[in-house]
Parts: sequence; structure tokens; C-alpha cells
Amino acid sequence: MEDQINRLRVFLDLLLANGPRMLIGLIILFLGVFFTKWLIKKLNTRLSGFIKNPATRSVIVNTVGVLLYAVVVAGSLIQVGANPARVIALIMFVSVGVIGILVVFRPLLPSLPFKAGDVVKTGTLLGRVEGTTILNTRLRTFDGKTFFVPNKSILNDVIINYYYTKTRRVKINVTVGYDQDLLKTKQALEAVMIEDARVLVKPSPQVYVLNLTLNGIEVGARCWVDNTNFWMTKCDLTEKIKYRFDQEGIAFAYNKLDVQYLKKSNVSRSGTLDEVQAYQLNSPEI
Amino acid sequence: MKIAQGMALIGEKWVAKPKEFRVQYQKLKSSELVTEYTPGLEDAGLDSDVTAWRYAWKLHMSTRSESRKVQADELINIRVVDECNNPVAYYVTGENQIFNPK
Repeated sequence: MEDQINRLRVFLDLLLANGPRMLIGLIILFLGVFFTKWLIKKLNTRLSGFIKNPATRSVIVNTVGVLLYAVVVAGSLIQVGANPARVIALIMFVSVGVIGILVVFRPLLPSLPFKAGDVVKTGTLLGRVEGTTILNTRLRTFDGKTFFVPNKSILNDVIINYYYTKTRRVKINVTVGYDQDLLKTKQALEAVMIEDARVLVKPSPQVYVLNLTLNGIEVGARCWVDNTNFWMTKCDLTEKIKYRFDQEGIAFAYNKLDVQYLKKSNVSRSGTLDEVQAYQLNSPEI
Repeated sequence: MKIAQGMALIGEKWVAKPKEFRVQYQKLKSSELVTEYTPGLEDAGLDSDVTAWRYAWKLHMSTRSESRKVQADELINIRVVDECNNPVAYYVTGENQIFNPK
């Protein structure tokens, strides 16, 4: 019992002697961490106006963050009573190691085949990349859903990055009847594409006769646009093609089926199908 | 003639390719009719004639009036022009179109 009281007394003496310093050290730590987080956020926002590459910006911000955290921890430890020289040496060693990993080894890590802002398709998900972390990628679909996709599954799957190249080809197929003016159809399609300001001059728009189908002649219009304009241009061209065909008097083909039936006045209306077929087969007129 | 020259000739003589579109309209300012553009001449134009015509139509629906006289906030003679101020044919009819002609 006396032993425990002695221990308690020693502990209380220690607390009275060092308590205020420990408290101040804790305050420095908490305030320092809070201030550092705020500063990193502000720095990231400011740098986004100067440095467009998010990877470069991330390296700079994280490096500054590591240095600031190191200063805060060192200050807190020194305040508590640690040996300043040893603390500074330790903190510098750890900081250099972390910054070295960020700057030197980060480029060697497998990188994802897209960046924030790209439109990608991974598996069944199609959307815009909003951000990436070490573990997952945040993808926002066009109907507003947000998916967190593990980077592991992305790296093991086929990815379509619609923004990897600057341009993309628009493909519109139409089918016109066999009785329509094919040359006028091709000229109308080509004119619609050339007249649109977003359609690129090179490669030049092309029109192809693709197929002679049961319903009509399938004609394909192909042109290239900037990736960012792809969807709206495709929709607008489709609309303009419809109106241009109306103006030029070109009719679209519809699915149709020619039905032929043979009428014989002596066949009873109540006759079964077999009887009717037999009559038709045996009838000399048919 | 080289192909590039031929293509340039086709682009110049057969099918004109505008660069941008604006909606041109007139309105009353201090009892005088003034011609204005949207987007403004100092701003970038629209890159789609379909968008421009739809915009023109919405402006017409928003500001039209039944009166024969031009009202204060009414936009009249609304049409789409290209960067050279040439009227652009309405893609629906293939002809020049003016909304709310007065």
C-alpha cells in the first residue's frame, strides 16, 4: 500500500513539474495540425490556377504538407522536453524519406490510364472521372450517380478513355428507299456535315453506301469532331439530316412486308386452313 | 490543281462553313430601334446553329407581344447570323427565318 502511495506521489510530482509543458505541447500539436490542414487546402486551391497537372500539384502540396507537419511535431516534442538536436535529426530523416517517396518513386508506381475530367468506360460504368486516390477512383455517371471504383479492378480491366485523343468520329447511318435519288442523298448528307461549324475539315467528312438491304439502301455519314463536342454534334447532325431530307424530298425507308393472298370465291369461309391449301394446290387456275 | 487547292475551292464556292453563330435582334432604346447581338460581339459566339436557332426561338417566345407597335422590352426581327453578319438559313426549312418581324 505504501509502495502504491509512493508511486502515486512520484507521478503527481512529475505531473506538477511537467504538466504545464505537456499541456502546451499538446496545444501546439492540435493547433499546428489544424492550421497545417487549412494551409494545405488553401495552397491546393491557389495552385490549381497555376498548375493544371493534378499529379504535379499533388506532389507539391503533399511535400509542403509533410514539411509543415514535421515542424509542428518537432515543436511539440521540444516543448514537452525532448532533446532538440535529436528531434530535429529524426524529423528531418523521416521527412526526407517521405518526400523522396513522393517525388522519386511516385512516377514509378503504376498509373491509371486517365486523369480527372476524362470520360471513361470501365466495365459497365460510363462516366466522368472526378478524382483518384491510392485506393479508388471516383466516377460520376451522367445521371448523377457517384461510384467509387477500386483501382485494382480498373487496372485489371479494359478501360475506354474517350478523352485520350482530342477528336472522335461521328457515325450516322440512314436508310432510304430504292426509289430515292441516291446521289442527292449522298450530297445532302455531305452538305449537312460540311456546313456544321464543329465538324473538322481534316479528316474531311465522308459518305458511304454501306448496304443494299431488304428495306432500302443504307448510307453512312462519317465525320470527325472534337471530343468535347461529340455528343451534341451527333444529335444536331441527326436532326439536321432529317430536316434536310424533308427539304430535298428524300424519303427514309421503313420496314415493310408485302403480303400476298389468293382469293377464290368458291372456297367456304368456314373451311380449315388445310382444306383451303388443298383446294389452292389442286385448283387449275393457281 | 492539287487536292488541297481543290478542297479549298469547294469550301469557298460550294458549301460555306461558318465559324460561329449569334442571335441578332432589335429592340427599343430611347425610342430608337437598335440592333444588338447575343452573345455579344466581344464574347465568343455559339458553335452550333441548332443551338443558336433554339435560343432565338426561346427569346422570341419570352419577349413577344400581341401589339403591332414595338413594346419596350420586346425583341423583334430575331434571326441567326454568322461571324460575318450573314444571315444563316434556318435548318428546319432551309430558308431565311426571322422571328417576330416588325
